[in-house]
Amino acid sequence: MSELLEHLEANLQQVTGYIYPNEIELHWSLLVVIYPYVTGLVAGAFILASLVEVFKVKEVASTYRLALLTALAFLIAAPLPLLAHLGHPERSFQIFLTPHLRSAMAMFGFVYIWYLMLVLLLEIWFEYRADMVRWSSERRGVMKLLYWVLSLGSRDLSEKAVRFDRKAVYAITLVGIPSAFLLHGYVGFIFGSIKANPWWSSVLMPIVFLFSAIVSGIALVLLLHYVTTMFRRVKPDMACFNKLASFLMYALIIDLSLETLDFIHRMYESEESIEILAELVITKLFISLTIVQLLLGTIVPIVLLAIGRFSRIPDEFKRVVFFIAALLVQVGIFSTRWNVVIGGQLFSKSLRGLTVFKMQLGGIEGLFMGIALLILPFVLLWILVKLLPPWDKQEAN
Amino acid sequence: MKPGEKWIGRCSRAVRSISTNLVFIQEPLFRLILVFSTNSLGMRMRIWKIPDQVIRLAILIVIALAVLIVVRLQFIPASFGEIGHYRADALKEEAALTLHYAGMQACVMCHDDIGMIKAASYHRNLACESCHGPSLEHVDDPGEFSPVVVTGRTLCVRCHGYLASRPTGFPQIIEAIHNPMAPCTECHDPHDPTPPEVPEDCSACHAEIARTKAVSHHWSLSCETCHEAAPEHRQSPRAFLPKKPTEREFCGQCHGQGSQRSASAPRVDLSEHGGRYLCWQCHYPHHPEGR
Repeated sequence: MSELLEHLEANLQQVTGYIYPNEIELHWSLLVVIYPYVTGLVAGAFILASLVEVFKVKEVASTYRLALLTALAFLIAAPLPLLAHLGHPERSFQIFLTPHLRSAMAMFGFVYIWYLMLVLLLEIWFEYRADMVRWSSERRGVMKLLYWVLSLGSRDLSEKAVRFDRKAVYAITLVGIPSAFLLHGYVGFIFGSIKANPWWSSVLMPIVFLFSAIVSGIALVLLLHYVTTMFRRVKPDMACFNKLASFLMYALIIDLSLETLDFIHRMYESEESIEILAELVITKLFISLTIVQLLLGTIVPIVLLAIGRFSRIPDEFKRVVFFIAALLVQVGIFSTRWNVVIGGQLFSKSLRGLTVFKMQLGGIEGLFMGIALLILPFVLLWILVKLLPPWDKQEAN
Repeated sequence: MKPGEKWIGRCSRAVRSISTNLVFIQEPLFRLILVFSTNSLGMRMRIWKIPDQVIRLAILIVIALAVLIVVRLQFIPASFGEIGHYRADALKEEAALTLHYAGMQACVMCHDDIGMIKAASYHRNLACESCHGPSLEHVDDPGEFSPVVVTGRTLCVRCHGYLASRPTGFPQIIEAIHNPMAPCTECHDPHDPTPPEVPEDCSACHAEIARTKAVSHHWSLSCETCHEAAPEHRQSPRAFLPKKPTEREFCGQCHGQGSQRSASAPRVDLSEHGGRYLCWQCHYPHHPEGR
């Protein structure tokens, strides 16, 4: 008992009001914050890619392949925070062997596998098939074998076959858009359907998650496009930057409107939880919600993007403004996930008290693990970009 | 033309159009397999023009599905799903585990005198082995094995130590204040734990309320100001329940507009404020400033 009290001492000193004993420590910590953040980036990057393929937005065509690879790299890393948080990752495959149709979390495994195997991998395969066939014949040694395996031994570079690839990519993207919506909408649904928690329980939650995902995905591709353009030392495609910035700004405005709608809805309903939620927002979440999410992560980027889009400033300066705005958006969206996941556990179910979240530095749920899991998708993306260069086709054109 | 014939005609035209628009299989091997299989089945089936890359993907998907089926056959336990979404054999395995607990009925077969006392006490629903530990060995061989006899203070405070979330009325103590150093059993008989002395103060049982009230604006009011409690409530709390105010005018003695009592107490017009509700139905009297 004394060990337990010693362990909880730091938390107990900051607990306010009345709280049940099992609410003092949070059960879902940093890793559960990272999971919806990374999943959102996947959905957002894919939706950006679909703008090129389905909606024929030519200006952002140069980001199409990069967006697909980004979505894949982040999707591969997406379940890792959950596996680390739950422990026993070797058991995870069992949800696929014995599907539990009434478990929302178990069915999410199938949503994930559908999106990974039948949307993203398939689309990337058809998109790169002709290139892989070409690379397989051009390269030597291990790389030749690797591209041959990746192309599944395909050799057909006829016009008909390439035309079929294009049609397949288009069809998969059509299926992929609702699938991407489903992927991140489902993450929002998992939180929104927890009716015992008034901070989470909202039908707007999947929609809010979805639009914040679109925002974060576009911002990430903008950041990557900026960095890759700089390192490749090619002439920056200002039309692409401008279009990305416009989409980011519009998505941010919709996201802000939805969040405001949710806020007004809660205020107008004024359920019995409104007092404790108001206290939560003005005390424990003031920095992360009002300052970081709302001010730095939404309003400042909208202003910056508007300045970049509608003022006559030099292109170099404009790109830096877009870059800063996209960076702030990432911080803001991470903060959004933090406020949902951590905020939802900071108040007592008695609606009479608040607890505090103490983050560990080391350990499986710690800060270092979180940083490693956030770096991992970039490492995966680097490998994917090396393996499947997204610029070859564009530069050849 | 009849409507049925019209639909058959449309369907056959659609099938013809699809089959002629697809590309023929490039690999002779696949073509051979397909032709062989359709011929061997005695079917006069037209070979569909499937693109090469689709066939390769289809083979990969078929292999993946085959692997999934093999893995399912290998890794799903045979008894999974027989009863519910779990391994039915787990029940048999649990049942086969070594027993350690005998159960209360086995205890009272020999210790019927203690069992009678306990059955009439507050601890009537508490199993003997909750305090005395697993005792099946003692039931099997009473001379060789003896159950645990509780002597310290640690076990009792697991239930009776003060915790805000415990229900009011449940006896709770603060270990450091309540007869420190003395073992609980020195004053309390665990088989009949009725307090040896009548509690002097309401807070002995209603600790959470007492602590809440102590920091509220009602701190100076004694419990009896609002609750009329018969003296017998201290011995038999559930048989003699204390009373709560049943009229709005009771609170109005301090909070009504014409009240001459405490000047700092907020005043309301009882004829307009709160409608037909009693005051404590909206305001928590032990912490009235809480909303």
